[in-house]
Amino acid sequence: MGHLVMRALVGSALTALALALSPAKAEKIQIGCTATSDCASAMIAVDEGLFKKHGLDAEMVLIGINSNIPAAILSNSIQIGGPTSTVFLQAADGGLDLVAVAGASIMNKTSNDAIAAFVRNGVTITGPQDFRGKKVGAPGIGAFLHVLFVKWLVEKGVDPKSINFVEVTFPTMADTIKSGGVDAVLTAEPFVMRMTNANLGTVGARYAAELARTEPIIFYAASREWAEKNPETVKKFRAAIAEAAPIVNNDRDKASAAIAKFTKQPLDLVKLTTPNHAEPVLKPEQLAWWIDVMSTQKMLQGELDLNKLILD
Amino acid sequence: MSMPERLKPLLLPLAALLAFEAAMRLAAVQSDSLAPPSAIALALAGALTDGSLLIATRDTLASAFAGLALGGAIGLALGIALGLSHILNRLMEVTIEAIRPIPSVALLPIALIALGFGYRMEIAIVAFACVWPVLIMTRAAVGGIEPRLIEVARVLRLTQLDRVRKIVIPAALPRIFLAFRLAAGIALIVAVTVEIAINPLGLGAGIMTAQQALRPDLMLAYLVWIGVTGFVLNAALMAAQTTLFGRAALTGDGA
Repeated sequence: MGHLVMRALVGSALTALALALSPAKAEKIQIGCTATSDCASAMIAVDEGLFKKHGLDAEMVLIGINSNIPAAILSNSIQIGGPTSTVFLQAADGGLDLVAVAGASIMNKTSNDAIAAFVRNGVTITGPQDFRGKKVGAPGIGAFLHVLFVKWLVEKGVDPKSINFVEVTFPTMADTIKSGGVDAVLTAEPFVMRMTNANLGTVGARYAAELARTEPIIFYAASREWAEKNPETVKKFRAAIAEAAPIVNNDRDKASAAIAKFTKQPLDLVKLTTPNHAEPVLKPEQLAWWIDVMSTQKMLQGELDLNKLILD
Repeated sequence: MSMPERLKPLLLPLAALLAFEAAMRLAAVQSDSLAPPSAIALALAGALTDGSLLIATRDTLASAFAGLALGGAIGLALGIALGLSHILNRLMEVTIEAIRPIPSVALLPIALIALGFGYRMEIAIVAFACVWPVLIMTRAAVGGIEPRLIEVARVLRLTQLDRVRKIVIPAALPRIFLAFRLAAGIALIVAVTVEIAINPLGLGAGIMTAQQALRPDLMLAYLVWIGVTGFVLNAALMAAQTTLFGRAALTGDGA
């Protein structure tokens, strides 16, 4: 008898405790992004208290390499992450059950103009065909800039296999170009400006501007299991991101401050470049182009179902 | 011209630092991976005063030591068991030699999915790396114990536990400690590597964040600090070894 009474008491005490704790506490989520301006909407939402306003206790985690984000999401180290379109689609193609929950950044004229193939001194590029036989450094093989560049080469009738691609991370690009380690790097602002000012070489091609696409660069993704279990949290997250995106696009000062705070980059440096355009809405057809491009580049093995990749 | 003898060895590194500083300034080098020593010193002082460096050091050392303790304990237990029992040693040889060569860092992708970011993953990887040196040196130390000591244990009819506690461990202790000292060095290296590769905490993550933030001065300050940490750790362990075991530590033979 005593046992039963005890169990009832403990049970009710625990229930009371759970009830007391649950409504008062804001839901805690961790959002993982790399040190770029693409997740600026989430950074703003943290800094401007927009997540808090919608009842979310959100914390941002700085992740070194974008391709680690899917694994970080699946291990629940972060609940929402900002993978690039290419990383997300490759992970989904590889069988990781990820789902996009909101848009982060998309390509537009400003972001496309910021992207360049920067060529070292002593190498002359007059057209796409001149890249043949060159050693080109990309921030990652199969990464966003690399896939775009290969797409551009194919459109211009240049066989990508004729180019020797190597990996060169953004912070080491200037020194690698200077030492002649590579002939060109696939890069973006502020690196283009910094390398131009240091007289390390010239812009060889504005390949993203020539492609002139408007598809997503980075979007917010979660594991399907988590997203389906926490529809309310996703809703709150979307609401906060939707409020933050216009601030990113219209208030350069606030956006720069939030980006500098998260990436720890010097504010003066951040201010030099326009953050990538924030677009909170993500539509299935926006991923269709990426899937098509990546399939042609043989980066995807299976058939991805567009309608399953984005959470309703 | 009277210069204390102790300062002489410092002349060369100091001159090199000054030359580096001068070269960086004269050539007005703009680099995202190099910075003049004066800027590195300033960044180091800044990171020390705002506490970020100390927190990172705490995170790295906590993971390294927890991993060392866990891996060391497993290595010690297995090493003693294998050192005492020939049969067990022969049975386990293939298994151990098959698992041991796996670079601990190669386990990162699996560890990330299984354990996620944070201390747990880092401790698990460090522990994996620390098991092997401790296991192998302990096994050798136990196997190399003077046979007469074992005979004494037999004559005294000591239980297996007492035999390990009263004879085996004391006899092999100096070499076991040496194993732990080597494993401690490995633990620090592996902890920092895990942080550089994946884990967003500690000194390794600090290096990566500084690099991506285009702060080569801070990045190199972290590098210098990791060197200092490693140096202090090794000096402390060396001192402990000499104090605890005296001359026995140097020969590595405690019998």
